[in-house]
Amino acid sequence: MTRDHFHGYRRADGRVGIRNHALVIAAMDNANPLARRIAAGVKGAVPVCAAFGRGQKGEDARVHDDILVGYGSHPNASVVLVVSLEKVTAQAFAGRIAASGKPVDWVDVQSSGGTLNAQALGIRKLNALIASTPPAIREPVPISELVVGLECGGSDAVSGMTGNSTLGVVSDRIVAAGGTAILSEPEEIIGAEDLLAARASTPAVAEKLLHAVARYEAYARLVAMDMAPLGDDNIAGGLSTTEEKSLGAVRKGGTTALNQVIGMGEPPTERGLVFLDAPGPGAENITSLGGAGAQIILFSTGIGNPIGNPVVPTVKVTGSPPTARTFADNIDVSVAGIVEGEYGLEQAGDILMNALIAVAEGRPTASERLGDVEITISRVENGFQRLWDTGYFDGTGS
Amino acid sequence: MRETIIIDERDNVATALAPLPAGSTHDVGLADGKIAVSVTQDIPYGHKFALSAIPKGAPVLKYGAEIGNATADIGVGEHVHTHNITSRRFRGDVLAG
Repeated sequence: MTRDHFHGYRRADGRVGIRNHALVIAAMDNANPLARRIAAGVKGAVPVCAAFGRGQKGEDARVHDDILVGYGSHPNASVVLVVSLEKVTAQAFAGRIAASGKPVDWVDVQSSGGTLNAQALGIRKLNALIASTPPAIREPVPISELVVGLECGGSDAVSGMTGNSTLGVVSDRIVAAGGTAILSEPEEIIGAEDLLAARASTPAVAEKLLHAVARYEAYARLVAMDMAPLGDDNIAGGLSTTEEKSLGAVRKGGTTALNQVIGMGEPPTERGLVFLDAPGPGAENITSLGGAGAQIILFSTGIGNPIGNPVVPTVKVTGSPPTARTFADNIDVSVAGIVEGEYGLEQAGDILMNALIAVAEGRPTASERLGDVEITISRVENGFQRLWDTGYFDGTGS
Repeated sequence: MRETIIIDERDNVATALAPLPAGSTHDVGLADGKIAVSVTQDIPYGHKFALSAIPKGAPVLKYGAEIGNATADIGVGEHVHTHNITSRRFRGDVLAG
């Protein structure tokens, strides 16, 4: 039996954080080096630096900006300093972040007179933010406050039945407690999308899910690529069909109803199981999960994948005995006991649930300790998006 | 060490968690309904074998869901893989289409 509450930081907007990071967010990539130096000048501060941000248009720009604002207002952040080349963007980001009630300030390079002056000003402003903000104190909150991101990477022959299935058990428990679990990766569920759509709470949710998967297939046709998720290594490992691999990926989402489908940079407005329409590669996907407001990510890996998120603790889970041994430095939770015959999925769920609560209450994850953390915001191809939006692919089998 | 795993009582295939030599017999199933199955071929780690006869065209079930259809009659204990089952979707296979 696992606990029904944990100790977290209640924020001004009502959400609960599991970390108390002072964030330095670069509004565009030309300010990334400065943002990193400012963060390095204030003990414990965490830089949030993504590529691009300059000259992006349309949906591509919206996703970039909304995800960064999502981090700025994130419950795992105590205070935020926005760093930009110029003041218009800096003020715009800071204004949107302030709307969440987060203590925020900004600095820009151009009106500071170069990066050395901006660095000194930024360090002073971040110090002032920290010194003037009341200390955050952990308080008991119910599990229902958790928004848990679900990701997998480096799948092997047993990860669908072990690690992913264990995430599914925990997802069901979080949802049963009134919390939120976010499944993602439309391209990884091709072949299993009908089964997930059948769990949708409304026809509109089902339609939106199928639409998201169809968009990936339309893109594959446009660029004449095979988007089927089954690779030669998967086949050698024992996976026989696209459906089999995709069913293994969908296992992360447990068995509950699908209540909402959200896009990148959109926080969920429903509880329960939610689907995030965001690309599957690890660094991108966990960036999108954090940008949607997940406070913690459960990341199932078969062969091994080290990447974590600098703001959102990323719990690495494996069910593969060889990986649990050889990749141990990067693994937080082993459920290899399933394969080794020591316990079943429900007990594996207990193990992962207890670890999740420990991390939520402050235990650093492997990727936090090692510094294997990254922010990678997915790009949107506006030209393809326009073709899709205007019905170019209608009637072509998608 | 567990040698096999199935996830759902409806499954008609199990997955090997160790290399299973042809002719070896294994207790397979969920805790409350194990059956003894002799594998008729070598089954590599991570690969599947049939728990019951699967006629050509019949669905192959794993996770309690259909992962494809048999392209040949599959006997109990036989290796189940790309040589004798096929995807019902094969979506994204755009270059072939």
